[in-house]
Amino acid sequence: MVRQLTSLAIACLISGAAVAHDHAAHQAPKRDYAKVWLENQEKAPRLAVAASFDPAGRLWRVQTVGKHLKLSSSDDGGAHFSAPLTVNREPELISSDGEARPQIAIVGQRIYLSWTQALPQPFAGHIRFAVSQDGGHSFSDPITVNDDTRPITHRFNAMLADQQGVTLSWIDKRDGADRAEYRGAAIYTARSTDGGRSFEANRKLEDHSCECCRIGMASDRDGTPVILWRQIFGRNIRDFALARLGEPLRRVSEDDWKIDACPHHGGAIAIDVEGTRHIVWFTGAEKSPGPHYRRIDGQQMSSPMPFGNLDAQAGHPAVAVSGNEVTLVWREFDGSANRIMSMRSTNRGTDWSAPSILASTRGAADYPQLIRGQGGLWLIWNTAEDGFKAMRVGT
Amino acid sequence: MKYFLLLLAMLSGAAHAETRFFTPGSLQTILADRAGKPFILSLWSNACAHCPAELKNLGELARKHPGVDIVLVATDTPDEAQQLEKLAQSYGLGKTEQWVFADPQPEKLRFEIDRRWYGELPRTYFFNAKHRREGHSGVIPLERLESWAGEHVK
Repeated sequence: MVRQLTSLAIACLISGAAVAHDHAAHQAPKRDYAKVWLENQEKAPRLAVAASFDPAGRLWRVQTVGKHLKLSSSDDGGAHFSAPLTVNREPELISSDGEARPQIAIVGQRIYLSWTQALPQPFAGHIRFAVSQDGGHSFSDPITVNDDTRPITHRFNAMLADQQGVTLSWIDKRDGADRAEYRGAAIYTARSTDGGRSFEANRKLEDHSCECCRIGMASDRDGTPVILWRQIFGRNIRDFALARLGEPLRRVSEDDWKIDACPHHGGAIAIDVEGTRHIVWFTGAEKSPGPHYRRIDGQQMSSPMPFGNLDAQAGHPAVAVSGNEVTLVWREFDGSANRIMSMRSTNRGTDWSAPSILASTRGAADYPQLIRGQGGLWLIWNTAEDGFKAMRVGT
Repeated sequence: MKYFLLLLAMLSGAAHAETRFFTPGSLQTILADRAGKPFILSLWSNACAHCPAELKNLGELARKHPGVDIVLVATDTPDEAQQLEKLAQSYGLGKTEQWVFADPQPEKLRFEIDRRWYGELPRTYFFNAKHRREGHSGVIPLERLESWAGEHVK
């Protein structure tokens, strides 16, 4: 018996570290959750990319390779990219899957990058930032922007930059770290007005955000960042809130989605020259599940317009506006292919075209993004089997 | 010697189920294995902040109602199977049937399970004996699980 067990033990030794890891699991489930989380971060698919045009019309793309953020550029609208530059010299885990993705913003010669460093602790991260002052030739050493540096949630970084400065926002659990009764997380922001060399103190925008949905940001007419996120209203209604930086929130969806779950499904915002907000978001509320669009003119909010095929997992929408033209894109899966769908309005979101297919792939795929450059609107979409796509889709 | 003791500890501990790979067609297998029997299908992930609470409730349900048939399906990846088993085991669900998503496109598997499930977790389906199902997103309170057990499991 002992001999048999010994040979079994040796067999287990061959399969190695797994056994040793498992031992920890027996004794400390919480630590095991942490280990799984960490390993997940190391292996997660890296389909989530970000891209931006510079003023000269060059397309810049940032993506995660291993434990490094890599930046490359394209002079032919995304058909070919330069050899990538490594942004962080010291390796670190970078969240880039699903709704967690690095961010890029370009203002003149400055290229701002932000990302979430995943920590070994479950759901924990740091908001990281680096800037190039010389058009992407070199980058500053990355800094951690969250000034609470405990290993807890500081995740889902969003970024907005213009001539006046750069603003980051993120989901932060510092206020609930020692309070079990605290609902959800909070939205924190930080702003730099010296070209990303330093950041002012972190500021809390609002308590009780949902924990794991991307944040939307857009510039108001006066340049003030406007932030859209999933908020917990009441005990557990997870609908959307919108706020200008430093101002109180306004509830902008009344879906009444009561749920103790991780939707992993946020919203997006675009603001037109008249200051009208165009928002898209997702809800699972039974009365009208799926993606929705709404226009907000001052105190007036249009009725939420559902869009997308509910039987094809329609979700993760993006929105863009130019003049009277509003463009929506989202992802659907029809059982065999992922496709990017689009609808367009030419009268500020009042009437809409029928949905059309912009692109499709049979393999795994990122969510769609809309960016501006070269005087037009572009769809950015990364796919596993058909590569990175940049498609001009409008004006 | 350390590993020998470890092994003994493992062998003497609660036996845990071998995780099966959830691929297109797996839901039919799960249903066929339980023809005429009620069960709970629970979808979860190691990356879901609300899932530990769900596992805790399911573990408590399994302890109080050993006759309840629970099927755990993790929406993670096959290489995480062993860790997922350990997580489930740590919540008293070591003997529960376990599956893990095994397709590079999780949307494909979600599509097959329920076209109207958008990926939010935890996601639970209560199947009655006729396999009519009721889907819920979010942590299911223990009382709700227990009342279902009282109604459907003798």
